[in-house]
Amino acid sequence: MGHGDKNRPFKKLKSSKFEDSRKGFGDDDDGYGGDDGYDGEDTKTKDFSKLELKPDHPNRPLWACGNGRIFLETFSPLYKQAYDFLIAIAEPVCRPESMHEYNLTPHSLYAAVSVGLETETIVAVLNKLSKTKLPKDMIKFIHDSTANYGKVKLVLKKNRYFIESPFPEVLKTLLRDGTIAQSRITSEGANEDGFTISKAVGEISGTHDELINGAEVAAAAEEKEAHSFEIDPSQVENVKQRCLPNALNYPMLEEYDFRNDTVNPDLDMELKPQAQPRPYQEKSLSKMFGNGRARSGIIVLPCGAGKSLVGVSAACRIKKSCLCLATNAVSVDQWAFQFKLWSTIREEQICRFTSDSKERFRGNAGVVVTTYNMVAFGGKRSEESEKIIEEIRNREWGLLLMDEVHVVPAHMFRKVISITKSHCKLGLTATLVREDERITDLNFLIGPKLYEANWIDLVKGGFIANVQCAEVWCPMTKEFFAEYLKKENSKKRQALYVMNPNKFRACEFLINYHERARGDKIIVFADNLFALTEYAMKLRKPMIYGATSHVERTKILQAFKTSKDVNTVFLSKVGDNSIDIPEANVIIQISSHAGSRRQEAQRLGRILRAKGKLQDRMAGGKEEYNAFFYSLVSTDTQEMYYSTKRQQFLIDQGYSFKVITSLPPSDEGPSLSYHHLEDQLALLGKVMSAGDDAVGLEQLDEDTDEIALNSARRSQGSMSAMSGAKGMVYMEYSTGRHKGQIKSKPKDPAKRHQLFKKRFGST
Amino acid sequence: MVNATKGVFISCDIPMAQYIINMNASFPASDKFIIHIVDSTHMFVQPHVEQMIRSQIAKFREDNTYVKPN
Repeated sequence: MGHGDKNRPFKKLKSSKFEDSRKGFGDDDDGYGGDDGYDGEDTKTKDFSKLELKPDHPNRPLWACGNGRIFLETFSPLYKQAYDFLIAIAEPVCRPESMHEYNLTPHSLYAAVSVGLETETIVAVLNKLSKTKLPKDMIKFIHDSTANYGKVKLVLKKNRYFIESPFPEVLKTLLRDGTIAQSRITSEGANEDGFTISKAVGEISGTHDELINGAEVAAAAEEKEAHSFEIDPSQVENVKQRCLPNALNYPMLEEYDFRNDTVNPDLDMELKPQAQPRPYQEKSLSKMFGNGRARSGIIVLPCGAGKSLVGVSAACRIKKSCLCLATNAVSVDQWAFQFKLWSTIREEQICRFTSDSKERFRGNAGVVVTTYNMVAFGGKRSEESEKIIEEIRNREWGLLLMDEVHVVPAHMFRKVISITKSHCKLGLTATLVREDERITDLNFLIGPKLYEANWIDLVKGGFIANVQCAEVWCPMTKEFFAEYLKKENSKKRQALYVMNPNKFRACEFLINYHERARGDKIIVFADNLFALTEYAMKLRKPMIYGATSHVERTKILQAFKTSKDVNTVFLSKVGDNSIDIPEANVIIQISSHAGSRRQEAQRLGRILRAKGKLQDRMAGGKEEYNAFFYSLVSTDTQEMYYSTKRQQFLIDQGYSFKVITSLPPSDEGPSLSYHHLEDQLALLGKVMSAGDDAVGLEQLDEDTDEIALNSARRSQGSMSAMSGAKGMVYMEYSTGRHKGQIKSKPKDPAKRHQLFKKRFGST
Repeated sequence: MVNATKGVFISCDIPMAQYIINMNASFPASDKFIIHIVDSTHMFVQPHVEQMIRSQIAKFREDNTYVKPN
């Protein structure tokens, strides 16, 4: 039914839109450049041709526009300095090789002030770097966004939360808000305003030292009086949310003065001398510990760039009890291992708490590594784990270290944060992008983004592998495509395009090539369980999916790492995150989870760990590319759509995908499977006779992106902007008829670029 | 006796031929437009359907293409 109905309005749209885009094209010639995709109205607000150029503009690296966009020339000699500065104050939107685009947002500025930059400094430096005079709008925006920062603090004292401020008026303003007033706990010992007044300790900043005059000293002493009121621990998150720039605009400062914390026992651990943090790891840590105290926030580093070392270093600096949360049991083991590898922590000071290993916590300070699920678990626990969880609950943690923050559903976070009381939270992730709007929540659940690395710079520096990304186009065979088109097979479409014999052959060819010719280690990803089993059985390779036990997983991974005979492993969605396989350097993706940009980036991350000698990896070295990422796509199917969408995140990070159309080479013939029509037909029969559930996607409870992808809800969140995902808001329409696997897609030809219109317009 | 019919000769790749065949099959008997399928990449159809086929295929390809929104 869909086809005929949608056709008519579509055609109309197309013809009318055609003129529009032609207009847009004309505008481009006038030299505004860059944003040719904007339609009429937008072009007006984005016309900055009247901005005044400074006389020495060729020496300055960036363009600042009144709408908050900043463009940075990466070929400028000042690029490095400008980049460090911009990444602190603005969100990266798109970072291709020569020109980066950034966006100033209230949240990014909030993050900037929280790492210690002052309003005046931001304006002055920006002005210095900009080719044009700073637009007034932008200066005003910066002032507005940063004025109130630092006036309010959230403090954890003896397991009770207080909101503290030197200005009682500010607290009164806050209390006028319903949510905050409700979460207040009135305590005894308060003055007439109801605020507890205490002398703030260790608040002597630089300016106070310069005070000589006695009267001023008195004034300063008065200022040091901190007014505070207590809030309900379970409401902390809501209060924080109300204080963010988009509500009351009194973003709360959360700092932990760990050096002066005498209440909590110290943990004796140091980084081992051989743990040499790389420049960007140093930089991210310096953002966190900028003023000698620890700030809560999120650090974004690509997979394989050494997130664990950053986490361990942070724990070593704070030297208090640390609770480390990971996504699954395998990564719990890996974190425990990393702690022992990089730090001098003693065996008995670290314990793992998973369903398989419940190690009791001894001593008064230590590191506990566990999973989000274990902490947030709501059901009945065994007596043993109940005891451990009770201990976790009652303890005041110096650092809450959270791995892969992007995957954890918000409600689980809430639970974890309400159960555990910590002075400082550090979130680690590679891809701050989700298909739902939950990324925004991280802003008040954890804190602002402290640092985000530029992937391409890390590649250039040889810190992560230089990956050749390729999209392999596999034409559908006649029989499979005929079935694909039939309406009654709509539920099997995914299985049909994944099991496309041409794709199988391409996959087999690539495995053979990389195993034999190059001696590479290969991971094959398939979300579709039916395909995963079919491929793995036919090619006789080991596979891991959701139901594979922990023991078996470890065994397979061990064989993959050490054995010369096991060079290929098939993974389902479980392999996306946290399974650490540093040996692998080739990924073949045969089926994927609709249009999840995050999944694509995570998968690429599996092979980003740099291998081989540094000089070989640099440009011009022996092998410029030493890792390969293949995405196999059946042409003329929905997969083409999803595939392009998935690549967006990586493209915004500056990666480019090469399209390969002629795999396998035609002379391979019968050496690969499914050469004969009978075999292909037998395969087709198998797909057709499999039940609808069998050919569907694997469902994992930890994956909420799934649900988000299937619903039609999309909104623009500010944290998604932080991740560089801004500008990638898209619509998806769910027909609701076939749940989960197949959705109809946006049909807006207006968004089609001129170039593609020409290419695909006529067939 | 020789019987001449005016039509359009279509040459395309295998999947598109399947697409056209499928489209033809979805029509009621009176509107079927394929006169003869020559082989897997060639066919002969009624002349009046040319535009319709073109636009259907354009739309089909449109559906399978993702465009980054601005």
